Amino acid sequence: MKQRSLVGPLSIILFLAYMFLPILATYVFSIAIRWDRSILPEGLTFDWYRTAFQDRWFLIVFKHSITISAASVLVSALLIVPTAYWVHLKLPRALPLLNLISTLPFAIPAVVLALGLIKLYGQGPLQLARTPAMLVLAYVIFTLPFMYRPIASSLEAIDIQRLTEAAQSLGASWPRTLVQVILPNILPGILSGGLLVFATIFGEFTLATLLVGARYKTFPMQLVYYTRRDGRIASAYSVISFTVAWATSLVILWVATWGTRRSAGPRTAQDLTRKQASVGGKV
Amino acid sequence: MSYLELDGLAKSYGEIAAVHDFNLKVEKGEFVSLLGPSGCGKTTTLRIIAGFEKPDLGMVRLDGLDITAVPAHQRGMGMVFQAYALFPNMTAWGNVAFGLRVSKRDSDYIERRTHELLELVGLAAEGQKYPGELSGGQQQRVALARALAIEPKVLLLDEPLSALDAVVRVSLRQEIRRIQTQLGITTVYVTHDQEEALSISDRVVVMRQAEIEQIGTPIDIYTSPRTHFVATFIGTTTQFEGVLEDKVLGRVRCADIVLSVGTNAGMAVENGDPVIVFVRPEAIQIAQPGEQIEADNMLTATLQAVTLLGPVIRLSLTSGGLDLVADVNTNERSRFTRGETVLLHFPAEACRVMQNIPA
Repeated sequence: MKQRSLVGPLSIILFLAYMFLPILATYVFSIAIRWDRSILPEGLTFDWYRTAFQDRWFLIVFKHSITISAASVLVSALLIVPTAYWVHLKLPRALPLLNLISTLPFAIPAVVLALGLIKLYGQGPLQLARTPAMLVLAYVIFTLPFMYRPIASSLEAIDIQRLTEAAQSLGASWPRTLVQVILPNILPGILSGGLLVFATIFGEFTLATLLVGARYKTFPMQLVYYTRRDGRIASAYSVISFTVAWATSLVILWVATWGTRRSAGPRTAQDLTRKQASVGGKV
Repeated sequence: MSYLELDGLAKSYGEIAAVHDFNLKVEKGEFVSLLGPSGCGKTTTLRIIAGFEKPDLGMVRLDGLDITAVPAHQRGMGMVFQAYALFPNMTAWGNVAFGLRVSKRDSDYIERRTHELLELVGLAAEGQKYPGELSGGQQQRVALARALAIEPKVLLLDEPLSALDAVVRVSLRQEIRRIQTQLGITTVYVTHDQEEALSISDRVVVMRQAEIEQIGTPIDIYTSPRTHFVATFIGTTTQFEGVLEDKVLGRVRCADIVLSVGTNAGMAVENGDPVIVFVRPEAIQIAQPGEQIEADNMLTATLQAVTLLGPVIRLSLTSGGLDLVADVNTNERSRFTRGETVLLHFPAEACRVMQNIPA
């Protein structure tokens, strides 16, 4: 009995160590004066952060990455929400196909995708090769599964067929139904998909380097640049990148719980009063 | 010319006909139910009226205008669904006001009208609740108020009570009828529940396998079913299989007994035809012991089972290999014990004779 009860905690400790030791090391490394000659760091400093923030590229690459990530989320949502809605509503038989398409990006390596896109858009009327716009379009493909899945689950969780018909019988056109009835009900799905996409793109290096490279430097490019010069500054960059990713993850978690709370049936009295207080302005 | 006219509607899904040659005229202010087992095409018909489905053939006319090609959101038909279909992101108030906002009515009117409708369905105090905070019955009331708010030309209800429990179902159906009468709104109501259809409709359309079996007032449908299906689908009935012996005198031979069935004008059977005689359970009476009976049909039977149904008790009887069902007032329950032999009787007028077409 006693032996058996050790297996659980031990495996959890191993798992946590496996997951968090490298991250912890990165954190420590980013504030260590030196940590290559001794077991413990030789004193602590925030100099590497200072250097990172003072780098004239820092703000530029940060802004570039935020812009590219946000633009990709927007394009992705605008493309996928109406498509997913329409297919779920009118072409349910095409759903397996859509599910397949939405997982394809997992099967295509970033390098292959990049080379294909450069070949396709390098010539012809659309001169998109090596522009940030092209990077955004590539990211929309690359992150399709992250955006599509949460939206599809949200659509499956509500009876979109009936809701759409109810809205129509009350005189609402298609666009109005989508915006006023469907969208608010799948918003948690769109938000969590969007945040997943955002966090993924913010740290993405391969596609960015291959498609635009130095013409439009992103945050991970600068990080890689520093790994070749000073690992401690690179670590500081990594920590900042983690922080952005973790902040978005926290928001995802918050949004997800918010979503389940809303869609659950009758809830606790506390919840009710909170909700009533928040809508109290009406009438 | 009627207010709502359905003319030769047909709709198939692949090989399967959902609706076939459907013709119906509904007068303004009338309450018509489409009744039938699941898969009979009643919901498809309603969805064609609403504009959610396009018929393969036929025409929908409203107030003389052909609206077959008009999209659903321009038809002005209020719809109530089985699963309520309230917008979960809006309060009860928001749901009812939705249609008015879409039609860009001024805010004073929206305010007044929404309140009026919530009051009509008895939910004026629940306006700020979200659908998830309301019971099933309350949600369906909101859905009804929402459909009525836009002053629809026709109110369409698709099994609106099926998801509710028995007590709520009965009270809400009476309320639907009360509101419908009060507003005088033309209503088409789909249900598979015969009791529901009979109790609230002006007219009932009984459907089976994509086709109309019979259209009539509830009492017509109940007392004068025109087909074997209607006779057995609506209510409970005792069936005697036999041969028509004498059309003029109204005699049917069933095994070793002869039933006096009256002379039903227009009875589409001839002497020698195999027929079925239908008798409703409330038409069959049980004689008091020692009572002198003068009746068209008298049979001795053995009482097999006594079932309490509430106001009546149902007696299951057998007589010479025939199964019979009779309903008597619950007050008389002490008279009956299982296994006893009783004398039952029913008048010729209670018999409904139909040709027996082997399936």
